[in-house]
Amino acid sequence: MIYDKNNLPEEIKNLPASAFESLHQEDIKDEKFKTKPVGFFKDAMIRLSKSRLSIISGAIILLIVLLAIIVPNITGYSYTEQNVEQQNLPPKIPGLEKLGIFDGTRVLTDRRKDKLDDTDRYPEGCILAVTNERIVKNVTMCDVKVDYYKYCGVAEGEYHWLGTDYLGRDQLTRLFRGARISLIIAAVTVVVNIVIGVIYGAVSGYCGGKVDIFMTHLAEVLDGMPYVVVTILFMLVFGAGMFSIILAMTVTGWIGTSRLIRAQFYRFKGREYVLAARTLGVPDRTLIFRHILPNCIGPLITRAMIAVPGAIFSESFLAYIGLGIAPPEPSIGILLSDGQSVLLQYPYQVIFPAILISALMVAFNLFSNGLRDALDPTKRGEE
Amino acid sequence: MLKYILSRIAAMLITLFLIMSLSFIVVRLMPMSLFENPEVPLEIQEQLEDKFHLNDPLPVQYFYFITDIVTDLDFGISVKLRPGLPVFGILIERLPPTILVNFLSLFISIPLGLIAGTAAALKRNTWVDHVISFFVVIFISVPSFVFASALQYFLAFKLGWFPTLYDTNAATLAEKFHSLILPIIALALGPIATIARYLRGELIENISSEYLLLARTKGLTKVQSIVRHAFRNSLIPISNTLIAMITGIMGGSLVIENIFAIPGQGGLTVKSIMAGDHFLTVACLIFYSVTSLVTILLVDLSYGLIDPRVRVGGKKS
Repeated sequence: MIYDKNNLPEEIKNLPASAFESLHQEDIKDEKFKTKPVGFFKDAMIRLSKSRLSIISGAIILLIVLLAIIVPNITGYSYTEQNVEQQNLPPKIPGLEKLGIFDGTRVLTDRRKDKLDDTDRYPEGCILAVTNERIVKNVTMCDVKVDYYKYCGVAEGEYHWLGTDYLGRDQLTRLFRGARISLIIAAVTVVVNIVIGVIYGAVSGYCGGKVDIFMTHLAEVLDGMPYVVVTILFMLVFGAGMFSIILAMTVTGWIGTSRLIRAQFYRFKGREYVLAARTLGVPDRTLIFRHILPNCIGPLITRAMIAVPGAIFSESFLAYIGLGIAPPEPSIGILLSDGQSVLLQYPYQVIFPAILISALMVAFNLFSNGLRDALDPTKRGEE
Repeated sequence: MLKYILSRIAAMLITLFLIMSLSFIVVRLMPMSLFENPEVPLEIQEQLEDKFHLNDPLPVQYFYFITDIVTDLDFGISVKLRPGLPVFGILIERLPPTILVNFLSLFISIPLGLIAGTAAALKRNTWVDHVISFFVVIFISVPSFVFASALQYFLAFKLGWFPTLYDTNAATLAEKFHSLILPIIALALGPIATIARYLRGELIENISSEYLLLARTKGLTKVQSIVRHAFRNSLIPISNTLIAMITGIMGGSLVIENIFAIPGQGGLTVKSIMAGDHFLTVACLIFYSVTSLVTILLVDLSYGLIDPRVRVGGKKS
């Protein structure tokens, strides 16, 4: 028989403490731990710090994040600053220029030799070398290696480390500004997806029964919509912009998380400790968030980390098909797709964003693999 | 089994319906420049509006939109890219190159992925495994369009081994394939790595399992036991990644076709988005959805064929 706490018979309510006696007659003789107890996360961190690959990739991520925060503020250029006279400048980096790389030179092909003395077109001192002289239709043609910065009349001592784009905007500033935007989009998307997924999965898994069947089928129907189609349709409806990109990526992005959470809830909601808590009168909300959800933290963190490179990829994919964020704001995807159209003339405009996105994606993938191994050692080595 | 198939098809249809509804919203939202042109006389505008049911209430328009698509495959007419032509015709015309590229990528990625995965699993923790694992991480992480740019610049432009763009006027089939090699490689690298990665994990697990020990004990050679038992069992989970791979290739094809100027459906989709030709975009997307839904259904069903346990259970968890 179960008594209501408020309706206990009077004689039970007023029992004196002396009326109780311990069931155990002897003292409990547990030994004290000799070492400090290691919690779940500390344990995971110890494992993570032992994996060299994870440490390196984590450091790369941190470095890129820091650069994305700092670089756009200290280059001295703004990401919108246009300069028509300085279009498509090649990279020029102080220090390295003496080694013959990144020295701001470019070879101009098929120039008339007799016009080389014309200081209007070729400012003084800009011609470094003349090669490949040949006579075409009685005109001597040649290839000229010029200091492109002097050629364009850029002031001495002005450097664009990664060159400029077709509007004369500094690529270094735009690259890291773009990295910042891409990272923000990725982070917000992942957080929103995780939050929706956790709530949906928790309700579906905890309630079970008809609610669960309905919610699972709804998720299945939504999941059937191809990701590409959903994102494109949503972008068309809401127009270009950061908000619509995030919205488009969260329409079906949360389903994976909700499945994971639902499975975990099914695993844990029948456990004895949950039953005990329920018997003690713990409300549903506390059961969900305090007692069951903490079991999902490990897989959830892993999942969030794995989702980040996916979101970065989606953003640049959308930029490539003309649905990126609104100009003049850059993102890695915008830079890549802008550069792609002049790839054969100015390859450096693609190379740097390509290197950055590749480094970011590889680092995130390796780091999340390491994190998964650390949080769940039984899955070690599985892919 | 029949019940399972029917429930899958029902879910598929609902999904498709959702996509069509979203498409309707897109089409309705687009500015109807064709009908609001001041140079067109008012009477003709009204006639046009009547013809395209623009004066009816929205639900009726929605009904027309859906029935036109379902019964006549009538997705409307192109407004910007090829004005006046029915969208479905343009779409069909652009299909062959896309099918060619996508199928060939899938076709070469499956065997290559299987070989790489098997090699990595059998030579576990040797340099072979390390090299393959290294490339797997690179290929999985780096987006296909970055590879496409790299291939186009280095192999095609710098070294001149391949044409930089798709050769539409190719005289012979060999020339045509020559210009298709780079896009196919760019699309296939990701799937190859995905298969290799999964297969390696599965094979390693199966090779160290007890039933493989039993197979060896009863007298099978190592090759026999691995080919007949471990490999076959590893293929089951792989077939499930096939869905992601196919949709991945189709999605990647959108960008790759544009980079290599392949006159295919992916390129058409991107061009229609950029031009704001919404009827065309919507038709491409619905077509894309149908293809991917049917693929998912087929892979799901074949999953039941490969793995008898799914068939008996009738329902996947």
